[in-house]
Amino acid sequence: MSKSIISLVALLVVIALLASSLYVVDERQVAIKLQFGEIVESDIGPGIHFKMPFVQNVRKFDQRILTLDSRPERFLTVGKKFVIVDSFIKWRIEDVKAYYKATAGNRWQATTLLSNSTNKGLRDEFAARSLTEVVSGERDELMREITEKLNVITLRDFGVRVLDVRVKGIDLPEDLSKNVYRRMSTEREREARETRSQGKEIAEGIKADADRERTVIEANAYRDSEKIRGEGDAIAASTYASAFNKNPEFYSFTRSLQAYKDSFNGKEDVLLLKPDSDFFRYMKEATQN
Amino acid sequence: MAWNEPGNQNGKDPWGNNNRGGNQGPPDLDQAIKQVLDKLNGMFGGGGNKDNGGSSSQGSGGVFGIVAILLILFLAWKSVYTIDEQQRGVVLQLGKYSRTLEPGLRIVIPLIEKVIPVNVTNVRNAELKEEMLTQDENVVEIDLNVQYTVRDPVSFALRVEEPERSLQHAAESALRHEVGSTDLNPIMTDGRAVLAENTRLRLQDYMDRYETGINVSVVNIKEARAPAAVQAAFDDVQKANLDKERFINEAEAYANTVIPEARGKAQRMLEEANAYKDQVIAKAQGEAERFEKLLVEYDKAPKVTRERLYLDAISEVYANSSKVLVDVEGGNNMMYIPLDKIVSAQPSTQTRNESEDYDISDLTDRVINEIRNRNSRSSSREVR
Repeated sequence: MSKSIISLVALLVVIALLASSLYVVDERQVAIKLQFGEIVESDIGPGIHFKMPFVQNVRKFDQRILTLDSRPERFLTVGKKFVIVDSFIKWRIEDVKAYYKATAGNRWQATTLLSNSTNKGLRDEFAARSLTEVVSGERDELMREITEKLNVITLRDFGVRVLDVRVKGIDLPEDLSKNVYRRMSTEREREARETRSQGKEIAEGIKADADRERTVIEANAYRDSEKIRGEGDAIAASTYASAFNKNPEFYSFTRSLQAYKDSFNGKEDVLLLKPDSDFFRYMKEATQN
Repeated sequence: MAWNEPGNQNGKDPWGNNNRGGNQGPPDLDQAIKQVLDKLNGMFGGGGNKDNGGSSSQGSGGVFGIVAILLILFLAWKSVYTIDEQQRGVVLQLGKYSRTLEPGLRIVIPLIEKVIPVNVTNVRNAELKEEMLTQDENVVEIDLNVQYTVRDPVSFALRVEEPERSLQHAAESALRHEVGSTDLNPIMTDGRAVLAENTRLRLQDYMDRYETGINVSVVNIKEARAPAAVQAAFDDVQKANLDKERFINEAEAYANTVIPEARGKAQRMLEEANAYKDQVIAKAQGEAERFEKLLVEYDKAPKVTRERLYLDAISEVYANSSKVLVDVEGGNNMMYIPLDKIVSAQPSTQTRNESEDYDISDLTDRVINEIRNRNSRSSSREVR
């Protein structure tokens, strides 16, 4: 037998053996060793390891934190209000043995199991709370409770630890959200109406004040002007009186003459006269009787 | 007896057959290989001859040599890795994490070690635009922007599946949580900065818990507005505020016109009153003085002055009027006096012969009074 052939063949055989007895587990993975389908070693960490060729084989699973992003689901809250919840779950494989037993390493199977459990958990919790509680601050509480309860089940049943259940979105179903929109609109409308009315009210107040002030100013002015006129009239009257009082009879005489002149000053004024007044004294005869 | 005794030239085997043909072994694989290798040797010239010794088995050493050299070159090429200034290299040795490479030219063990490059300086961006519920059951539309970098390349590469998608989910969740804890009004007005900061803190917390190695540097709320369906109503609130201001401004403008006008009118009224007063007093003084002057003369010669004044006045009266002198003694005589013929025959005149000052001033008085009456009539219509 030729040595080189033997050595070549021997080399090939050795390589083959090595290949099937050494395997590498990546940092991101965890592995289990199966012998004829039965688990003989589990939780194999990263690095290079040895197994029996052909008889034993190795299954590797993603050891990282994985995300399950499920479809949005409808949940009922207290008060018969529906919400549409879109959640995601952060999970990782903790007990590889249990995981393999439950899912045969099929990730899709795992996510189905996980999402069913989660939805059940969410449903129970949501049904016990009102819409406000669910939407607002108590979410942390809610989520922590759900996570804890879930973990009990998931660890036991399929070796999965749930790190976090988070709600990506809580939305109202269409009919409810229409109501919300309508309410928002009417609230705003009311606010707008109020604002405008307030504006009008203040404006009317300003105008009324202005009008009132104007009336007052004018009234006062009228009063003062009347006073002044009165003063003028009084002084005039006293001036007249003091002058005319010097000879009241003479005043009466001259004033009457003026009155006659003013009264009878046009041809449409007709005087029927008898010639026995003093004026006609000299008409009959030249000498005074 | 041995079957090949010395001196026996015919090599006999135990069965008595003669072996002819000299030094033959089994039909010659050995030979064949040697021939092929020699040929190859010849083709590759001297290069492979380094390892050639004398024996046939070393003929194959030449090929191995070439392969070895190629292998060495290949491995050399594979063991040098360039890490960009922006990156770090996460090294897995046989699957296990061994170290992180800094930027530059680095050596790794080929085949055994695998390098995962991670960009750590690049500022990455995630965007988010969603409608969500607020604490007071209103809906708001938020436009969000997250800036982040990779702080820990090992975690980023090894601990989480799809870390950037994780960030996207977590950002949505963090934002909704924070919005769900705030009322609508602060979100739309002055609470935005607080909201963004709270979201950033929450998001960073999630990132740390999920071991992503991501550092959230900035969370920025670009827009926070009412959903499109109710935008009109929200805009109307703005308009209403503007309207309110407008109403008030108009009213103030009105006030600013009306009051100064009133003051002006008041001033005028006072001025007119003063004018009247001065006028009336002056008129009185004038007339009084005129009378007094006349009185002085009258006192000097009363009878004559009286007679003169009387006759002057009466003659003027008679001159200007229509007269009928009836010189009949009493009795019941009926007389026909056509008065209307007398009146209509003469053109009616209102002659004021006297053009003395006080009559003109009298006329002026009457004009002023008339104007004042008209004014006060119109202002009394305005004053309610």
